[in-house]
Amino acid sequence: MHLYLPVALTSINVLIPVGLGLAVGLLSGLFGVGGGFLMTPLLILFGIPTPVAAATDSNQIVAASTSGTYAHWRVGNVDFKMGFYLLVGGFTGGLFGVQAIKVLNAMGNADFVIKMTYVFMLGIVGIYMFIESLASMKKKQPETVAPAKESRMTRFLKSLPFQTHFEKSGVSHSTLLPIFFGGLVGILAAIMGVGGGFLMVPVMVYILRMPMHVVVGTSLFQILFNCIEVTFLQAYTNHTVDFILAVLLLLGSTVGAQVGAVFGRKLKGEQLKIILAVIVLVVTVKIVFDLTLSPSLLLAQGGGH
Amino acid sequence: MKVTILKSGLKNTIFLGVALMVLVLGAAGNASAELTATANHDHINVDFFYHGSSVSVRGTADQGIDLVIKITSPEGHQELLKKGKLAGFLWMNVGKLTFEKTPKFYGIHSTKRLEDILSRDEMDKYALGYPALERHVEISPVGSEGEKSDWFNQFVKFKESSKLYSVSSGKINMTAQGGKQNYYVLLDWPYQALPDHYTISVYAVKDKKVIETAETHVLVEQVGTVKSLAGMAKNNGSLYGIISILAALGAGFGVGMVFRKGGGAH
Repeated sequence: MHLYLPVALTSINVLIPVGLGLAVGLLSGLFGVGGGFLMTPLLILFGIPTPVAAATDSNQIVAASTSGTYAHWRVGNVDFKMGFYLLVGGFTGGLFGVQAIKVLNAMGNADFVIKMTYVFMLGIVGIYMFIESLASMKKKQPETVAPAKESRMTRFLKSLPFQTHFEKSGVSHSTLLPIFFGGLVGILAAIMGVGGGFLMVPVMVYILRMPMHVVVGTSLFQILFNCIEVTFLQAYTNHTVDFILAVLLLLGSTVGAQVGAVFGRKLKGEQLKIILAVIVLVVTVKIVFDLTLSPSLLLAQGGGH
Repeated sequence: MKVTILKSGLKNTIFLGVALMVLVLGAAGNASAELTATANHDHINVDFFYHGSSVSVRGTADQGIDLVIKITSPEGHQELLKKGKLAGFLWMNVGKLTFEKTPKFYGIHSTKRLEDILSRDEMDKYALGYPALERHVEISPVGSEGEKSDWFNQFVKFKESSKLYSVSSGKINMTAQGGKQNYYVLLDWPYQALPDHYTISVYAVKDKKVIETAETHVLVEQVGTVKSLAGMAKNNGSLYGIISILAALGAGFGVGMVFRKGGGAH
């Protein structure tokens, strides 16, 4: 059955958005990512105009991440305190990122910076996660060795002011740490036009040293708030949120997120990390191909990212 | 009573007069003014289940002439991103191109190939066919005519990929009847064609010239909930945004609750 989308101004087979929602929602519940880096290009592929695809996806992520946060919260895997500090940083970073894009647009090379940021960030994160989780899977007992010796970095982090204990995650940090890294991810996410889950997850795992299962729930919690903000801004300033398309997507993604959360509990932290690393690397390779192979059309509708 | 009779008498006289004039003019005008065009519907409603439509155009024309049917949306301004190579191997958006005097929708159907039945001047005059349209539109910024031509070809490729531009010949059915020909063509109306006022122009062609034109119109319009949702998104963005967010939150929680109940049963 086909439905006409009032803002995208096109007709789509309802099975496509529901199916896409289910698949991306599953990833969301499993790994704590919004899945924008997958969903937006897929929607464009099925004929949705670029600005509508990006804006509607953030609306849909609100539903998927609510569903996912709820599922993870029920089993005690959301660190609200950490999530709050990450959000404070993320919001501030987002404001800087939006300004940076304005400057880049004025200079005329925004697309170059965006694409390069994509390739490098996804590439680095993917490779690092892959190697690290492979190594810790071989070691068998990953978590116990690390805290034994204190590096110069850990000493420096411990010397920072505003030290506090995050009970859910079982770690102690200065509150400046999540605010700073939340901000960094916020800037990059705004530049790349994505939610930033795939950057936030490694930050929480490798820098904040949080256990993987709490990472997934906490990441979804902060993605939820980011996407509420983005959805409102897109609807208010660009009028590009397609409500009907969002409903079709969320029919799949809310269910997918629940199923993902259940599956996630059955997998080990390392297994989750390595699968996410592979997905991130596949997306990186796809973007590299898109950049280097001759496109079939040399013109495109504007207003993207 | 008298007044009404007088009025209807006057009406009859006027009608007779007009009919006579039409007859005289018709006889004097070397058998032209005979082209007619009617679309089977002048209104296409876009509701939730709209997945494109079809429009048939029929009418009569003189014998021995060829026909060209053009369907266009109003001309306007369009801005597109252009892709180019950076550093010799990286394809990305390298700027914008502005197309002026360009319709969003452009369809041509003719009895024979345009080049075989029309002179270049006539094609230019009515913007019939891609070469004539290329000379008609303005593209900026372009450095040379060659560059304009390249980008126009890309533009047509882009539009054809979403079924908004097409040029074809041989689809028009012609049947002779009593010294005239009836023509009929069934046009696919793609769902990608945006709500707008469309003009269907029919050109009668003889000796490489357009000798007569007829016109009919099709209005594509959103109706019902589709119209109210699109209107709200455009005119009341903040409320629309809040409703979209609340619906998403509600759906997320709702599905969460359902799964909790489902999970509890295990």
